[in-house]
Amino acid sequence: MNMSLIGLEISVIGLGLVLMLADLFMPAERRKFVGYAGIAALGAMLLFSFADVGTCSIAGTAFNGSFINDGISLFFKRFFILAAILVLFIAAEFSDRFAVGSVAEYYSLVVFALAGMLFAASANDFVMLFVSIELITITFYVLVSFQRSKLASLEAGVKYLILGALSSSFMIFGIALIWGTTGELNFTKLAAVAPQFETSKIFLLGVLLVLVGLGFKIAAFPFQIWAPDVYQGAPTPTTAFLAIGSKAAGFVLLLRFLFTAVPSVTMHWGKLLIILSGITILYGNLCALPQRNIKRLLGYSSIAHAGYLLLGVAALNAAGQTAILYYLAGYLFTVLAAFLVIALVLRHLDTDDISGLAGLGQRSPLLAATMTISMVSLAGIPPLAGFFGKFLLLKSVVEAAQATGNQGYYCLVFTALAGVVMSLYYYFGVVRMIYWSKEPSDMSPIALSPAAKLTAWICIMGIFWLGLFPNSVLVLAGEAAKALGK
Amino acid sequence: MKNEILPWLILFLPLFSAAAITLFTLRRKTVSSLISISAVVTGFVLTCLFLSANTFHPTVTETTVNWLTIGNLSIDFGLKLDALSLMMMLIVTGVGGAIHIYSYGYMHDDRSMARFFACMSLFTFSMLGIVLANNFVMMFIFWELVGVSSYLLIGFWFEKPSAGDAAKKAFITNRLGDFGFLLGILMVWSLLGSLNFGALNSIVTANSAALGCGATLAGLLIFCGAMGKSAQFPLHVWLPDAMEGPTPVSALIHAATMVAAGVYMLCRTFFLFEHSPEALHVIAYIGGFTALLAALMAIQQNDIKRIIAYSTLSQLGYMVMAVGLSGPTTAMFHLTTHAFFKALLFLSAGSVIIGMHHEQNIWQMGNLRKKMPLTFLTFFIGALALCGVPPFSGFYSKDAILALALEEKNYLLFGVALFVAALTTFYTFRLFFVVFFGQEKSKEASHAHESPLVITLPLVALAVLSVVGGFIGVTNFYGSQFGAKHASLTVMEQFTHPFHDVFPMACGIGAVVVGLFLAFKFYKNAATDPLPAKLGALARWMANRFYFDELYEATVIRFHDLLAQSSDWFDRWIIEGACIGLIRGGTDLSGRALRLVQTGNLQTYAFLFVFGVALLLYFVLVK
Repeated sequence: MNMSLIGLEISVIGLGLVLMLADLFMPAERRKFVGYAGIAALGAMLLFSFADVGTCSIAGTAFNGSFINDGISLFFKRFFILAAILVLFIAAEFSDRFAVGSVAEYYSLVVFALAGMLFAASANDFVMLFVSIELITITFYVLVSFQRSKLASLEAGVKYLILGALSSSFMIFGIALIWGTTGELNFTKLAAVAPQFETSKIFLLGVLLVLVGLGFKIAAFPFQIWAPDVYQGAPTPTTAFLAIGSKAAGFVLLLRFLFTAVPSVTMHWGKLLIILSGITILYGNLCALPQRNIKRLLGYSSIAHAGYLLLGVAALNAAGQTAILYYLAGYLFTVLAAFLVIALVLRHLDTDDISGLAGLGQRSPLLAATMTISMVSLAGIPPLAGFFGKFLLLKSVVEAAQATGNQGYYCLVFTALAGVVMSLYYYFGVVRMIYWSKEPSDMSPIALSPAAKLTAWICIMGIFWLGLFPNSVLVLAGEAAKALGK
Repeated sequence: MKNEILPWLILFLPLFSAAAITLFTLRRKTVSSLISISAVVTGFVLTCLFLSANTFHPTVTETTVNWLTIGNLSIDFGLKLDALSLMMMLIVTGVGGAIHIYSYGYMHDDRSMARFFACMSLFTFSMLGIVLANNFVMMFIFWELVGVSSYLLIGFWFEKPSAGDAAKKAFITNRLGDFGFLLGILMVWSLLGSLNFGALNSIVTANSAALGCGATLAGLLIFCGAMGKSAQFPLHVWLPDAMEGPTPVSALIHAATMVAAGVYMLCRTFFLFEHSPEALHVIAYIGGFTALLAALMAIQQNDIKRIIAYSTLSQLGYMVMAVGLSGPTTAMFHLTTHAFFKALLFLSAGSVIIGMHHEQNIWQMGNLRKKMPLTFLTFFIGALALCGVPPFSGFYSKDAILALALEEKNYLLFGVALFVAALTTFYTFRLFFVVFFGQEKSKEASHAHESPLVITLPLVALAVLSVVGGFIGVTNFYGSQFGAKHASLTVMEQFTHPFHDVFPMACGIGAVVVGLFLAFKFYKNAATDPLPAKLGALARWMANRFYFDELYEATVIRFHDLLAQSSDWFDRWIIEGACIGLIRGGTDLSGRALRLVQTGNLQTYAFLFVFGVALLLYFVLVK
């Protein structure tokens, strides 16, 4: 076995350990800066992945085919590292809200979760799938309840733990059923035998239960119920990582599972996926409408976006899968921009009410612009990343409708558009609060560290770059999606 | 055709000037005005160059680029170059150029002078576009541009509410006419399948019944456009109010160009009217009626610019009447001479207004001939031309109209024209005597002073044209366009042309003498107006413009307000309230209801989770 295939994962775990050990040697007040060392290391790994000699860019399988490096894993690994870098930036800004000196511990947990995501990106059998998911989820249990002095944080952690355990138990049961009926755990091998078992209800039950577990990760209907509470209670950097990293990990596993392991079953489930996608979009957007808590609002919005992403799954074509990858890339910058602003502006307030953003247009023009661009991109308005992503997703659905003649796809497009219209209302409610609030209580300017400014600019540039020059990422996404069908 | 590029250059120079001023030099008054002036003066020089190379009849009469193609309708952006458009270009750039130069002096102390010149350039561009358009669509676009730029210019002093109102009034009244014009254009297109003037002309010439019974309606709809721009009854109300704009604007819009656009358009599309005597009749009578109405109103006005504005209305009535009497040559002849002497009168009035420190009431003036000799002289020439005193230019064109009415055996309109000629002389010399003779009636009048050279020079140039305009060959050029009955005349022949038909000439001169005599009698040394006492109620009606504004206020505007209010109600309660409100409320309510699911209770969450799993299982495995 070629050990260099998992070189990236090993170095990330090593980094996590180093960060954890730094806790022992660094004085408490300087531990905040450990994060920048972590960022530098991750940045180096990200750059390395673009060089041809990078370990993760060597295609091949390891551990008897349970670990695979291909186009899609490469795409997602870069994606996760970038997400982790930005989350570490946010965490460094947020560090004064954690218990004194505990921030290095937080950094290492983020990096461990990243390791789990990297494994998830390469998972090619059910064991790897389950282990990577658990690595991510268990780390997140801690990350969510990290503000131990805050009751809401602990409550969110417990809720996430119990519901997560519930979904894991369903998933492991499903895996057992699949293994019991087919005798295969490897995705590639399963795909070869799956058509024989299409009529077996036990097999289908197994597939469905795995879907439940993944549905929980991405917060799709009807397993979305945890998202708002956990998003609201968790520390802001955790919420950010949950919103992008955890969700993307769920999607890469979902894509692999549906299109590599059981494509023959998936092809018959168009109707189910259409319904799930449509209801998820409506649920997220409708619930967000009356919402006043910004983190909870983004929790609902993240449900809605899971719905939009499911459009690409429901389309059951390569265009849809490419669109999902592209959409996630745009979503990364957009969502992290929003959480960066929330972390910076609301960290000293007791509430996460939208009114905390009042007067931001004068308090910090850069943050106000970042938040506005983020909201506008989430709403899907050209020329930002969110628009082009939604456009690609809807295009793939329309193509599917034309190819299959299934009228349900048109209903789905209509639903998605209705959802977009609804979302304009609450996203622009945030923008209105920033610039046109009646009487902001606090008008003191917000001082920004250079790192915070840099993060804001990275996000803004990313949103515009993806919206204006979609081709560069689209090519990568297209290549990645090709790996799925194999 | 030689120098094909020149007309394009002439057309677009003012646009470049407007763009350059707006974008770059809005803060620099002198540079802006020089850009604008040089654009129009260069236009005039280039027009002369083009004419010397091609004469008034270029070998190729159209130069076009395809602009857009929709289905089988292809619309060109093309320039039509014939005697009609070239002569008109001379007027627009020549008279317009004089007015631009004059404006440099007149507007010198205004802090928005750059904006003024940007608007003037935009206006010149729009007007040249109308003149050069070779199809209806292009003409309509420039037609609207003229509307916009006149709006900007009339409302130039927008901080004055009256100027803002006047600008709106002009724009909206014009829009009413334009709506008819657009309908007419669409009708012509649907009946004949083309919008190009040349193509339409050949279609109609080949088959005079091509328009069929739609000829009258189409003609009248197109005439609606002219009714708005040339301020014919019943859309005449905007023109006097438009005097709120700066005086050079009044001269440019209400003498040389904008109001001439209506008449020009009628002449340009005259081939459509030729086959509809009914439409021509309506046009002739509306023209005659407007001429009479405006002349009567003018008698009892006291604002120097308004009196001239009403005289413009009246003279436009003459032109429209001439078109209606199948005499486009005559109409264009009068348009041309009128452009000279009316620009002269307005600019002289502007000079008076400057001298009087922006006092416009004639009863505050008096004895200005001593203080402002040059202005007095130019105004006198303009007045003589307007009244039609031989051998000034107005005499020739007015005589041509009188002769035309007789020739067409329309004795009623001949009578009206004659009466209006007497009235014109009366109110013009009323103004003249009150302003320039008698005693100084106010302190300002005693301290009046002559205007600077930049203002008086254009006056002199226009005065010369007003004197000789009647016999320098204007009719020859127009006549060659519209098929003259006789060959080109030499200057001497033109000079004596009215004497071939003595009766109308004698009548015209008689009318002038009567008007002059009465004006002299009443106003020689008058300190106040003696007429109200003599005429009583009639004078009051004249002074109040026969209550047309009040009538429109009570009917059209009231009705319009009512309509607007009910649409507002419908929009607010039915569309916004019922339709949108229900959707919005329903969405909002379902959002609030769904929120109740998120209780925060872990047991409920776990239950819902498992319930969701059960739902999926049922959907996939049982159904």
